[in-house]
Amino acid sequence: MGLDYQWVLWNKHKKTYDKVIVFSMLLYILVFVGVTLVFKPETSIETLVIRAFGSLAIIMLHVILIIGPLSRLDSRFMPLLYNRRHLGVSMFIAAFIHGGFSLFQFHALGDVNPVYSVFTSNMDYNSLTNFPFQVLGFLALLIFFAMAATSHDFYLKNLSTKTWKRLHMLVYLAYALVIMHVFLGAFQQDSYVATALLLAVGFLVVALLHIVTGIKEVRKTKATKALLEDGWLQVCQVSEIEEDRAKIFTVEKERVAIFKYNGKLSAIHNVCKHQGGPLGEGKIIDGCITCPWHGYQYLPHNGQSPPPFTEKIAAYRLKLVGSQVYINPVALAEGTEVTPIPCNHE
Amino acid sequence: MSKKDEFYVGYLDEVGTSTRKRLKRFVVAVLLLVLVGAGIFAFSQRPFKNSTFELTQETEIEGIYHESPYPMLKVNLVDKQFKNVILLGFGKSNADPYLQDIKAMAGDIMNKKLKVKGNLIYYNGKTLIQILKPENVTIVSDDVIPLLPVKTVGVDIFEGEVIDPKCYFGVMKPGQGKIHRSCAVRCISGGIPPVLATTDDNAISEYFLLTDLEGKPINEAILPFVGKNLRVNGVVEKMEDWYLLKIDTKGIVYTHKTNVYAANNSCQSDCASLHFREAFARSH
Repeated sequence: MGLDYQWVLWNKHKKTYDKVIVFSMLLYILVFVGVTLVFKPETSIETLVIRAFGSLAIIMLHVILIIGPLSRLDSRFMPLLYNRRHLGVSMFIAAFIHGGFSLFQFHALGDVNPVYSVFTSNMDYNSLTNFPFQVLGFLALLIFFAMAATSHDFYLKNLSTKTWKRLHMLVYLAYALVIMHVFLGAFQQDSYVATALLLAVGFLVVALLHIVTGIKEVRKTKATKALLEDGWLQVCQVSEIEEDRAKIFTVEKERVAIFKYNGKLSAIHNVCKHQGGPLGEGKIIDGCITCPWHGYQYLPHNGQSPPPFTEKIAAYRLKLVGSQVYINPVALAEGTEVTPIPCNHE
Repeated sequence: MSKKDEFYVGYLDEVGTSTRKRLKRFVVAVLLLVLVGAGIFAFSQRPFKNSTFELTQETEIEGIYHESPYPMLKVNLVDKQFKNVILLGFGKSNADPYLQDIKAMAGDIMNKKLKVKGNLIYYNGKTLIQILKPENVTIVSDDVIPLLPVKTVGVDIFEGEVIDPKCYFGVMKPGQGKIHRSCAVRCISGGIPPVLATTDDNAISEYFLLTDLEGKPINEAILPFVGKNLRVNGVVEKMEDWYLLKIDTKGIVYTHKTNVYAANNSCQSDCASLHFREAFARSH
């Protein structure tokens, strides 16, 4: 949460996170260069750079892709999600070094523009064996560039969360392009079982984690029960909601989080205004609903961020009949005051 | 604090014990992945050729200039032993732009002795030189020195890959195969002579400068075939340390392996009487 924009709002955890990123990247490059110079000493410096940074970027991409599902499956992985953008930008830098060197090495200093050359030097688009694999890598790099360039909250705010999210979901398209780029390029020329296996295992881990997370998400979100009179929906017993936590329900195709705190109940839209984080998986801290992804906060009774912040989300009306909680499925205007309902008998 | 109560907020210093443990394990796993991944990717590379590109070192050579059909310098090594050094320009271009000044000044330079300064590229008995400036080419003598005639060896079929000799013989590693195809296309499109690189079952390689049937440069027509495994038939000629192969691109066939001189018994009934391999064996 910020009122003005800075390059990075540094804090202790971000610094630690970035130190681990830099250390891991340096370690990878050193080991790759060391092993190559010992076992394949006839290599050239350009090839060394292209291969070291290309393979590093692939490994980083896999780590990035597993962080999302891991943190949904186990909240103890949530700190990895908190600063994932720095990991994404670092991965782009590695991919850019790989792509930049390749573009210069293979396409520059020739008789046509290097970018034009990427698309036209090999025209076997209808052949899997001879497919111009560099085009796939180039397109993936463009996506990574768009993601890295818009990774700052400034773009998140100005592009709108929805557009930003859609843009950043292109990472899955980029991942598919990268996998094809490697299998139709490097692996076709230097076919080694170990590298192919490493990438196949990586793909399986990414795919399985996403599938398992998807199944868990569907199960976690409770469908609301039959419509009662006056348009109120029966959702749950008060006892089903833990103190300072929420339960998530689907109401009129929207996810809604019902929080219990200080003997009261409040309902708000489940989607954080920042990056669309699941507020219902958050916690009440200092009287505010706190998003589990980046700590954005909202007041439970009106969906407004505490002053001086200005984010607002929709609130919902609740009523209690005995110990049964009901919700009015009509979303109120963002930031509307709704008196919390007491649930003291719990 | 129980696991359920642990709630991480990035801008607060506090991190739950269970979360901290889980993160440490994750970082250890990532570091292991880094070590194993770097080791596997680095080790799983084909050995590189011991070819050389003297990028930072310039050498001056002297020899007789000729275009057969690509610009070369016939350099006298020792008594009556010659090497034809292919002349190249900077980047992915041939030597033509660097020879224009001397041609404008001295007229026809064919078969005249020139001095050329540039970066040497060499591997497996073949040598090329990259010229960086037109002033690095000077004329030594206006005398026209006749060259030995090119000998016809015969007609044969070869399997191999069309490469650009600049990258293959030193500038790039690897300078062949699918990864390098685009670069080879750019080089040959830029005027660098196309060469058919063949390797036999004993890993012995031979190289053929490709021309059309009239012995003229074939750069444009050969582009769709560059960097692929091919079977090519044509007329073989020998020009001291280089073979020339005169081909018609219509007769090129794609194959799946890079191998050899002609498949066994490849000499068809319409082959020239002198089989290349026999001639090759004699010439070595």
